[in-house]
Amino acid sequence: MRLRLKHHVVFAIILFSIFEFPFFRSYAQQPERLLGINSSWLLLQSIPNLTWTCYSAQTSFGFEWEITPLLYSFGMNKLNPRWHYFKVTQPERFTGSVEFNLTVQLFTSKVGKSYWGFSGQLIGHFPVIEYGEFMGLNGGIARYTNSFFSANYIVIGASTLFGFLHYNIKYNPIDKYWMHSIEFRFF
Amino acid sequence: MIFFTLFSYSYTKIVFVYFAFLFIFESCNPLFKRFILKSFEDVPGESDTKITRIERPIVPSVGLSVLWIGHATCLIQIGNKVFMTDPMFTNTAGIVTKRRTKPGIQIELLEKLDFILISHLHFDHLNYGSLNLLPKSATVVLPIEGMRYTPNMGFENYQELKLWENISLNDVRITAVPVKHFNGRYGFDIAWLDVDTYSGFVIEYEGKTVFFAGDTGYDSEKFKEIGKKFCIDVALIPIAPIEPHDFMKRVHTNPEEALQIFEDTQAKFMIPIHHRTFIQGLDSSITSAQEQLWQIVAERHLDDRVLILGIGEQKILIQ
Repeated sequence: MRLRLKHHVVFAIILFSIFEFPFFRSYAQQPERLLGINSSWLLLQSIPNLTWTCYSAQTSFGFEWEITPLLYSFGMNKLNPRWHYFKVTQPERFTGSVEFNLTVQLFTSKVGKSYWGFSGQLIGHFPVIEYGEFMGLNGGIARYTNSFFSANYIVIGASTLFGFLHYNIKYNPIDKYWMHSIEFRFF
Repeated sequence: MIFFTLFSYSYTKIVFVYFAFLFIFESCNPLFKRFILKSFEDVPGESDTKITRIERPIVPSVGLSVLWIGHATCLIQIGNKVFMTDPMFTNTAGIVTKRRTKPGIQIELLEKLDFILISHLHFDHLNYGSLNLLPKSATVVLPIEGMRYTPNMGFENYQELKLWENISLNDVRITAVPVKHFNGRYGFDIAWLDVDTYSGFVIEYEGKTVFFAGDTGYDSEKFKEIGKKFCIDVALIPIAPIEPHDFMKRVHTNPEEALQIFEDTQAKFMIPIHHRTFIQGLDSSITSAQEQLWQIVAERHLDDRVLILGIGEQKILIQ
């Protein structure tokens, strides 16, 4: 599959919004608190999640890239900031948090007319074992859009391995669409 | 639906991914593979390690005492103040590194605790399960960025210290001092942490001074500077893991280097820590670092100044 100009444009917009987002810029002005955006961070962000989408007796395998514009952390010590923008350490997520994240999906086969899909998710993370570092549960809602359908999903799942590895099941009760995703969360 | 998904369309891809991971592991640095595999092995010396557990870890009246609980965990008492370094009481560090010897105190017997010092963010030093067992009235002192790795456990106070910064609370002064180790907690985070998230600490109270080195490699300049700035009564210095030394020396000290730190800091006494609890390198036995230290100490006639404690053993240094 060849990437077209519009795909490059979408990626450029996402990267631009990460660097230029006003919250991030104000955060970056505190150098002693900064977990720096650098090439390593970008490299880790480029590792996609694996996702399977099941609809109308068809299953599509794909890759999913994720960013977290906003996360509210409620499980950390009282002196740690509650609100986080894009840059989130693992404990800030797995010790208990609610996050809004955006994803771009690239399927290996066409879903409708296109290989691409987009989503917005509001997900809560709840610690189960060792403050969520060994195991936690996820739950929330998501909206997925591609050229074939645009639907709301209920999300439930679990995380392990220090919050790096998530498995989520997403279900649309109206159209009975299912999605499964294995997610690697680095920030 | 899950099984349908996994075993139909995506089956070949999963097999591919599995073999890709296998290939990556097989092509890993052989040293790294040996570290991983070693953590599952039984090692000589475990059964020989006797644990003494005293009934009253907090002494009613003492000038300065140190009780070695295991690994880098020490209970330090200066007068009426009680400090604990890098609390580690759980059966594993992280998920896989197995603890080989039990902790040297029963945590229920700890009547009070004023300060908890966390030298860095690694699993065997900032251990969530262990921290949660401790009295919540304590102040937790962390290195820079430590706050971002510490869940809410209900402690009364948290304090993050930059290098050479200090906290003064109830006449106790704790200063973060430079050591030589490495960043992060999860491996990947080494790449994006822009500051050094590790330190040692110097505790000063009632005219007594304790240096806790945490986990460190040898750096003459840093330790000489600490020696110049403080008049140290006792230095708690790590002596393991040792092997393979060419690899470990960047971030860990062997007994020889630990003694060099002791000399550089000009401390009156040294207590070795960070040994006999986990196998973190390729050391042949759990007691090999201690045996090496014994030998060097005997050769240099340092027996009266280098105090090699057993796990659970308490030494009263100043009455």
